[in-house]
Amino acid sequence: MSETAAFEPRVVGFLCTWCSYAGADKAGAAQLPSPDNFLPIRVMCSGRVEPEFIIRAYTEGADGVLVLACHPGDCHYKEGNSRALQRNRLLRKLLDSFGIEPERCRLDYVSAGEPEKFTRVVSETVEAVRRLGPLRLSREGGLNDGSNDA
Amino acid sequence: MMIGVFLCTCGTAIAERIDVERLAAAVGRLPDVAWCRTVGFLCSEAEKERMEGVLRDEAPDRVVVAACSPREHEATFMGVMEKAGLNPYLLQMVNIREQVAWITPEISRATRKAESLLAGAVARVRRHAPLETKRVEAVPDVLVVGGGPAGIKAAIELAEAGRRVVLVERSAVIGGLPVRFEEVAPGMECGPCMLEPLLGELLHGRLAERIEILTMAEVTGAVGYCGNFTVTIGVRGRGVDRACIGCGECAAACPATAANPYDYGLGTRKAIDFPFPGALPNLPYLDAATCRRAAGEECRACKDACHLGEETVRFDEPVTTVERSVGAVVIATGGEPIDAVRFPALRYGEIPGVYTSVEFERLLSSSGPTGGKLATAGGREPESVAIVHCVGSRDPAHRDYCSGVCCAYALKFGHIVASRFPGASMHHVYRELNLPGKGGAALLRRGGEKSFFHRYRMPDGISLSPGAGGRITVTSDTGQDGITADIVVLCPAIVPAEGTAGLAKIFDTPLDHLGFFEELHGTTDTARGKVKGIYLAGSCREPGDIRQAMLGGSAAAAAIHADIPEGKELEISPVCAVTDRERCAGCGICVSLCPYRAAALVPDGKAEVNQLLCHGCGSCAAGCPGGAISVGYFTREAILAELEGILR
Ligand code: FES
Repeated sequence: MSETAAFEPRVVGFLCTWCSYAGADKAGAAQLPSPDNFLPIRVMCSGRVEPEFIIRAYTEGADGVLVLACHPGDCHYKEGNSRALQRNRLLRKLLDSFGIEPERCRLDYVSAGEPEKFTRVVSETVEAVRRLGPLRLSREGGLNDGSNDA
Repeated sequence: MMIGVFLCTCGTAIAERIDVERLAAAVGRLPDVAWCRTVGFLCSEAEKERMEGVLRDEAPDRVVVAACSPREHEATFMGVMEKAGLNPYLLQMVNIREQVAWITPEISRATRKAESLLAGAVARVRRHAPLETKRVEAVPDVLVVGGGPAGIKAAIELAEAGRRVVLVERSAVIGGLPVRFEEVAPGMECGPCMLEPLLGELLHGRLAERIEILTMAEVTGAVGYCGNFTVTIGVRGRGVDRACIGCGECAAACPATAANPYDYGLGTRKAIDFPFPGALPNLPYLDAATCRRAAGEECRACKDACHLGEETVRFDEPVTTVERSVGAVVIATGGEPIDAVRFPALRYGEIPGVYTSVEFERLLSSSGPTGGKLATAGGREPESVAIVHCVGSRDPAHRDYCSGVCCAYALKFGHIVASRFPGASMHHVYRELNLPGKGGAALLRRGGEKSFFHRYRMPDGISLSPGAGGRITVTSDTGQDGITADIVVLCPAIVPAEGTAGLAKIFDTPLDHLGFFEELHGTTDTARGKVKGIYLAGSCREPGDIRQAMLGGSAAAAAIHADIPEGKELEISPVCAVTDRERCAGCGICVSLCPYRAAALVPDGKAEVNQLLCHGCGSCAAGCPGGAISVGYFTREAILAELEGILR
């Protein structure tokens, strides 16, 4: 319990530059406080995010990943966000089968005009990951969490 | 490797929220960082100049700028890099203002987060490579879709200015609807006479060599963007060689007849025939379905009749596909009347003598099925003609808008009937009259003394029924006037032409809620479509008359001259996908993923991305199972390095 309270998760964000990154900038301009546990990486489109990037985030020590995209139908490149959603669904299933909670791999939509939503989604994700506790993963990709019998 | 870092404090905006000294010290300890300079306002003119000097003197291999959002100043600092003689893509920005300082209440936490992001940027920038922005000239040629008044006007204006134009027309005739009308409102000019000089100019005048006219043709595909479209066009075989002089001997000899679609089935044409007398281009076309040969007969009457030799007529001419590259597209596909069978109370198609407006135009036209002679269903001269206005227009159940052209042509009908049959009475059954413009209201006087106006109330307030002696009874919801007519003309709402939605899909340009092409701005920019490089003219964007169509054609041409002047250069951003031919297995997944049709399998089975078409989204790179695609500036190596850096 005390370990969980002290635990500061790290959540990597992949933000598409056209909507979500702009929304995050707006949150900044509006000075809306959000957890410093969130580390953003800018990409042109959520469709650029390879599943490998997400897996690597875990193996490099992230406890969660949040992909932020334009709203459905609003992707600057027409359909990159729907590709991202397809990949996200698949990856969550895959992660689940390896014992990694799907909540650690979230996709959501933030438009350039939604600074509050940006802040809310980031906070929610960080809190969800905090509740799950640290992701214990060896660099080789296997689980080494003692609580797991497998 | 030598990496230079600029740390902007943005006055106090960053300095107050982040421990800049501590951050600079931490950055200085990162691998390959040669120096880290803290600056007050890096985006100020003075500091940009100083930055340029530093870059010149120190000539770092890579540069990191930690400041505001790259959405705000990435282009600024890339510009400074270029001025200093460095490749702009060797820069990486870190957003320590909007996404750190301004959202992290605690200084120590903000500083730690900034350290992580800077570590990511430094790790990433080492993976950057110099990239070149290529330039190509925009294609000055223009595609015009639709050979009606709007399209021909646009084509003429563009060709007049020296542009090459490809004019694609779906039917066998150019000139659109007005060439089928005897007279046009408001001036009562003869439609064909008014348009023929323009059509002649296109076909064999001064401008003809710059205008390629493809009739019986339709756009089937398009890739590209403003300045560089590649368009595929399916051209149905006309069955007649261009050498044809249009003497008509083939038609005279042809034994097969069928309903003529150019007369809305009111008359017939031979299997090989002109659409109607005077139609341009002056070439017959062969309707293979009507031809006796379709039934297995060995007929060759047309070939035998041709003075130019049997080769002039071609049986079984296939659809050919041609490809054209153009810089801009004018959509001028027009509108058409809504199908009158949708109004059961009007019993169109059931009661003889009930016509739509376009049918009535043909009946009045000297090039029409009756040569312009108007008769009742029983063969008498008409004594009374009724015109039902607003069929489906201003009708929430059908079309909420006023079609804008019907009142004027309805009054024109009144004028023609009055002048040809002085004894006949004319009944306008209307809800509102809309006659704007210089000649509009004067049309009300054209109908003469036997012209009567009857107002009805509701959109569905009119019903027609067969009356005694082959006449038609018009009953209205006001119930006062009983009207009996020999002929009833319906004025159906103008809707987008058939095929509009398909064309919108091909060019990826949106339609409005009514199904017309959506303008860039409905009031201030109606000649431009929503998508760059797509221009709109005529009734494809809003129902309008010939004047508006012509004006729209001119406006589209002018907008093209403004947007894509000849010699305009297009920049090809290096932020685009590139394939690694060694790793590509030719699975084609990228082809299916690309929203811009930029990825294609080349003949040797490998995928290639057309840089002109690529927008750089990276969807293909993310989906490639072999990791054979990368995106400039957003390479896998760079993103993974950034990831490792921030989590280090
Ligand atoms: S550009 Fe935002 S999701 Fe594609």
